[in-house]
Amino acid sequence: MEPPEPLVQFEAVSYLYPRATRPALRNISLDIRRGEFVGLIGATGAGKTTLCLTLNGIVPQFYGGRFFGRITVAGMDTLEHPTGMLARYVGMVFQDPETQLIANSVEDEVAFALENLQVPREEIRARITYVLQAVRLDGYERKHPSELSGGQKQRLAIAAALAMRPALLVLDEPTSQLDPVGEQEVFAVADELNRELGVTVLMASHAAERLAEYATRLILLSAGSLVAVGSPDEIYPQIELLERHHLRPPQVARTFYLINKAGHPTGRLPVRLEDGLRALDSLCAQCTLTPPSIPPEPQGADGPALVSARDLKYTYPDGTRALNGVSLDIRAGEYVVIIGQNGAGKTTLIKHFLRLLEPTEGKVLIGGRDTREFTVGELARRVGYVGQNPDHQIFNASVKDEVSFALRHLGYPAAEIRARTSASLEALGLLDMQDMHPLALTRGDRARVVLAAVLALQPEVIILDEPTTGQDYRGAKSILDITRELHRQGKTVIVVTHHLYLMPEYARRVLVMGKGTLLLDAPLRQAYHQLDVLGATFLEPPQAVLLSRYLERYSAGELRLLTPEEVAACFIPGGVERGSHQIPESVA
Amino acid sequence: MGVIRFQRVWRESLFTRLDFRAKLLIVAVISLVAFVWESPITLAALALTVIIAALLSGIEAAYLGRIFRLMMPLYGLLLVTHGFWNTQQVRVLTGRETLTPLFTFPSAWPLVGGGGMSVEGFVYGWAVILRTIVLILVLPLAIFTTDINQIMVGLVRIGIPYKLVFIFSSTLRFFPLLFGEAQAIIEAQRLRGLEPQRMGPLQRVRVYARIAIPLILGALVKAQQLEAVLQARAFTGSSARTYLHESRLRRVDWGVILLGLGLFVTAMALYVWLGVGKFAWLIFPSAPTPVPHR
Repeated sequence: MEPPEPLVQFEAVSYLYPRATRPALRNISLDIRRGEFVGLIGATGAGKTTLCLTLNGIVPQFYGGRFFGRITVAGMDTLEHPTGMLARYVGMVFQDPETQLIANSVEDEVAFALENLQVPREEIRARITYVLQAVRLDGYERKHPSELSGGQKQRLAIAAALAMRPALLVLDEPTSQLDPVGEQEVFAVADELNRELGVTVLMASHAAERLAEYATRLILLSAGSLVAVGSPDEIYPQIELLERHHLRPPQVARTFYLINKAGHPTGRLPVRLEDGLRALDSLCAQCTLTPPSIPPEPQGADGPALVSARDLKYTYPDGTRALNGVSLDIRAGEYVVIIGQNGAGKTTLIKHFLRLLEPTEGKVLIGGRDTREFTVGELARRVGYVGQNPDHQIFNASVKDEVSFALRHLGYPAAEIRARTSASLEALGLLDMQDMHPLALTRGDRARVVLAAVLALQPEVIILDEPTTGQDYRGAKSILDITRELHRQGKTVIVVTHHLYLMPEYARRVLVMGKGTLLLDAPLRQAYHQLDVLGATFLEPPQAVLLSRYLERYSAGELRLLTPEEVAACFIPGGVERGSHQIPESVA
Repeated sequence: MGVIRFQRVWRESLFTRLDFRAKLLIVAVISLVAFVWESPITLAALALTVIIAALLSGIEAAYLGRIFRLMMPLYGLLLVTHGFWNTQQVRVLTGRETLTPLFTFPSAWPLVGGGGMSVEGFVYGWAVILRTIVLILVLPLAIFTTDINQIMVGLVRIGIPYKLVFIFSSTLRFFPLLFGEAQAIIEAQRLRGLEPQRMGPLQRVRVYARIAIPLILGALVKAQQLEAVLQARAFTGSSARTYLHESRLRRVDWGVILLGLGLFVTAMALYVWLGVGKFAWLIFPSAPTPVPHR
């Protein structure tokens, strides 16, 4: 059978943004065939967004710059056809769920593009019904976009794009700001549209496990260049290639890569969980399982509680009960991760530690004193907070001023301001950038500036609210590495995140929240294996945990493994070695 | 939580069923009449009518209360300025050379000694207050009782370019987002140890001014993203487009439009020929024929 005809053709495409010295795209040649689900992968700055924007002509027609080569979509040259016409063929879904919804109700959002294309009213009505059913938002027609969850917002954006009946649906990191439920919703809908309606899908994403499951082909970009094209089964097993380009493979692929590397050839590396489970069956039939010795659970930190909540209840003014009797103690020197789906009460809880909210009932204690005894400013000297969006926390024209901002306003002596600012800049590796404008830095560096500014106040506790959201693997690791260093220096660290796979290397204790209650408070190794509790708050454990659970059918007892390294160590004679098979220090 | 939304009443009533164009005409008629009338009696009747209509349409009494509380300093200022200093206009309107003193400051008092408030000026101050009440409440009466899409289509139908209407609608959509960002930035400043409540006014202004930097930059980034979104949705700004929502003038709308025009003509006729709505009407009956305005 002949392969389907190409829907999109790139012919030696290069592109430079106006005033840029380096091309955002370099000599890209590739085809996307009708009916494919193509995953676009690459680290931040690889050129994924630019490539997406070329498909409906926004690059270069809207942005300008220098464009070389030729792109055709459904036979139309993207330079010769206006974006309005290309929009009929290429539906776009962007990263930010907030900015891309422009109407005041769900049905108007879907209708907007159709109205612009002068589609008759009756036809618009029919298409609204159809696409809202397709993305499972029927019944929400009159809702305001702000009433939708993150996943629903992105599904609405897909519906709005789909209403134009595009041949190609382009999604630019549509799940990067969503919780796991939202991510699953978006991938499932894109998959349905692809399989059932034949819509060609191009999705840029860092969600390796999902792309392995749903994509039929992957395109790997790095620094604007095309590095590799192939099926997930061809790309994801190339662990070294991925790591060289700062990408994370699915955990199952990394696990079997390590097993292979240790001298147990398993054939083609599995990249999907179910393939991994099958591969474990055959592996266990061939060799003996030697579970690594897992050290006993770490004892909780000693000493008095630094942050405490006592039967904490909070109801928002609109009547929403966000916290329902939460009690906990966090001791000095702990590294705690708080997990739970959106709306579980994580941020509300944190806002109480900062006194941005006051308990409806119960109380919050910092260092044994009720937070009501402090002002927000006083508490800020003890509890530092780094929010999700660094740009909301930057007010100054230079990195140095930003870091010394609070010190100056709080009236510290000039010598102390200089000393603390320098120390903070040095700790975060920002000394070379101290005179630069913070907004001229990368997002990851901006996050470090905010962290430096918070550290300048020398707080005992540092809270990071979803620091890894919107970051690629390298960016997320770089921020978490800093938190590890702070923890080593004796700070108490509290991190809120959806990215469970990142945390075994860092956190020791997990607070699982759901529906405003504390569902579980346990050491990380124990918490990650409470699948029912995680499921209750719509969280999925990392693949390594699921592999570990599966392996238990071949072992005498519970394994409680957390990472690909630990799972692979089961097949390595002699157990865990230092180096690539190292058990994360924090959980060991 | 905490999201600001476009205010809307949810109770179905004649107000919600009317076409936006009919409502706009009524708003225009009431505003014009309020501008022309000077009599506190007719303005009080008009203000009362608008308040009752607002309550009947489903606008919450608490909302009206908030507006009145917000306006209270202005009302005080209006009473003082008109009572004390608006002597010339009040003389013209009443046709009296001498105004009736309400009270007079002792002549020994510095600056204000010998000055005083007149009854006519005080009454005129009330008339102006009632006029502002009418003008402030009549627009929400039209807007809060209309779905935003009906407002948009209605505005396009009366000839306002779609591009302008889209800007209006986008403002309603994105203002809450920017407001949320401003709150997040203020929160971030407080979390960096700033305590505006303990600062002097100047220092506080300087600190708050810093909100502008991230807010404007954030708005610029959003604007650029929005532009890309609009391009991807085939937006050109042209009024040559179709609309999901209909805007049709039904018989009841025509009836309201005719009624509004009729009331306007009647009010103007009564004003010109019988003096109904003029400042002196019924209150200062002994006043001679007013001298013309200068």
